[in-house]
Amino acid sequence: MTKNSAKKENHFLSRYLGKICVWVFVLILSLLALLPFWMMIVMGTYISEDLYTSAKIWFGDYLLQNLHTVMKQDFFLYYRNSIVVAVLNTAGGVLISGLAGYAFAKYEFKFKKPLFMFVIATLAIPPQLGLVGYVVEMRKLHLNNTLFPLIVSGMASSFGVFWMRSFISGGVPGEIIESGRVDGCGEFGIYFRLVLPLLRPAIITIGLLLFLWSWNSYMTPLVMISNQKLYTIPLSISLLNGEYRTDYAARILALAMGTIPVLVLFAAGSKYLIKGLTAGSVKG
Amino acid sequence: MILPFFLVYVAFSIYPIVYSLVISFLNWDGISTPSFAGLTNYIRAFTKDPFFYKSLTNSMILMAFSIPIQIALGLLMACVLKDFLKKTRNGFQLINFLPYVTTPVAIGLIFQQMFNWKSGIVNAGLGLIGLDSVYWLGETWPARVVVILTIIWKNYGYMMIMFLSGLSSISPKLYDAAKIDGANWVQSFFKITIPLLRPIFNFVIVTCVINGFRLFDEPQLLFQSDTQPIGGPNRSVLTMIMRFYEVSFRDFQFGYGTALAFSLFIIMGIITMILYAVLNAKGDD
Repeated sequence: MTKNSAKKENHFLSRYLGKICVWVFVLILSLLALLPFWMMIVMGTYISEDLYTSAKIWFGDYLLQNLHTVMKQDFFLYYRNSIVVAVLNTAGGVLISGLAGYAFAKYEFKFKKPLFMFVIATLAIPPQLGLVGYVVEMRKLHLNNTLFPLIVSGMASSFGVFWMRSFISGGVPGEIIESGRVDGCGEFGIYFRLVLPLLRPAIITIGLLLFLWSWNSYMTPLVMISNQKLYTIPLSISLLNGEYRTDYAARILALAMGTIPVLVLFAAGSKYLIKGLTAGSVKG
Repeated sequence: MILPFFLVYVAFSIYPIVYSLVISFLNWDGISTPSFAGLTNYIRAFTKDPFFYKSLTNSMILMAFSIPIQIALGLLMACVLKDFLKKTRNGFQLINFLPYVTTPVAIGLIFQQMFNWKSGIVNAGLGLIGLDSVYWLGETWPARVVVILTIIWKNYGYMMIMFLSGLSSISPKLYDAAKIDGANWVQSFFKITIPLLRPIFNFVIVTCVINGFRLFDEPQLLFQSDTQPIGGPNRSVLTMIMRFYEVSFRDFQFGYGTALAFSLFIIMGIITMILYAVLNAKGDD
């Protein structure tokens, strides 16, 4: 009896200690995760000269002047470019991968198997592999120095097709398609009127992922775009060295303004994003 | 219905890749008339270009240190959140996931500030505990440490969500049974959690290696400078994609650049396959 209660106490103590360790671990890691964001916000509120004297951990009083500097640049133009590229890329990607996923899930056609194998195989190709060819292609089409190459880059997403197919296979009953046919709907009519509404979660997931990839994309715009009027946010952040050189704080403020709103969007949709990102891992 | 997808795919993905493959057998700066080079670009990559091997080694070093740590942190975080912090789990999950979705360019730039020799918060922190400042961005190994820390910071949250999704598929009955047999949390962790997460480990390791070879944005921004060659001090963080970028789009040697890209792709393919074989062989035990 006494032995038992001593064991219990010991157990209790170790659990208590364990709990503290757990909290310390989680809190420290979470603080480290947030620290760079904090720095980003704080550093934008100083006058540049002060940034070089010592580390800053609390707000300065130069926010409005920095804001003024940022506004004088083409900041909103870059923002608009980024939004145009990411939105069109996402919309196009969702449309074509949805259609292809639907076809792979619900139709029988020639070469269906090899075509799908092909889609899966291309998942492993690094996007930089064809970059030089892509630049030359766009140059020949006189589409370099437009936003077009950025919009279509990555639009035909193999992952999108893969994801849509598996969702449609499991989530869209064949009877709905049949009933559409009985009612005399065309095949595209069936897809857009009957199937599409059922795909909402899958569309949100793929949409967010495509948006994420497109918004964060750096290398393609870097090698494709030389006209400053067409800069996207990542490009402007990295290449506006000259413009902001004397004003580092303004550059960091622009960085914060270019990063944080989108982070809020991703945070809001993180449930769907995470679903997409973890897809495929369980099956290996 | 699959037509739009394949049209776009062929036009903007397959065609550029095939085109690149063709270019890799040429001498071409992108403007003048190209001349046929045969395999010389590939021979140059593997036998005459010290930076090719340097970038390969750099990529390997960065991966060797960052991958185990980010996996360990992600795994620990996932297990701890699942078992001890059920109520606050979602909040912490979101916080630790945020770095993964942040624009890499922004990460590079802000870490550059944080590791600044004079005014960076890292050296300020070291000063507080009585250590000397480190010239993080100016020397070979400190520079690598900065890149490694940046990658870990960015990726461990992704590892966390992968492991959380894997954990959710392990039956709680197993843990209950272990508890009845008197196993504590640490024992269950090693005897149940780790073995049953094997598929996730395999997936995550392969993904890490593939992404490790693709590393570009963060080191490029961390060590961005107009006056120095890309790749940081002594080119210690010149990754393979950075070398590809330098040759193709700074020196405009399109032929050699594409040959580098395909060489990288081949090396990546071989390593990934070996990795697959090793990981699966282990799984058969």
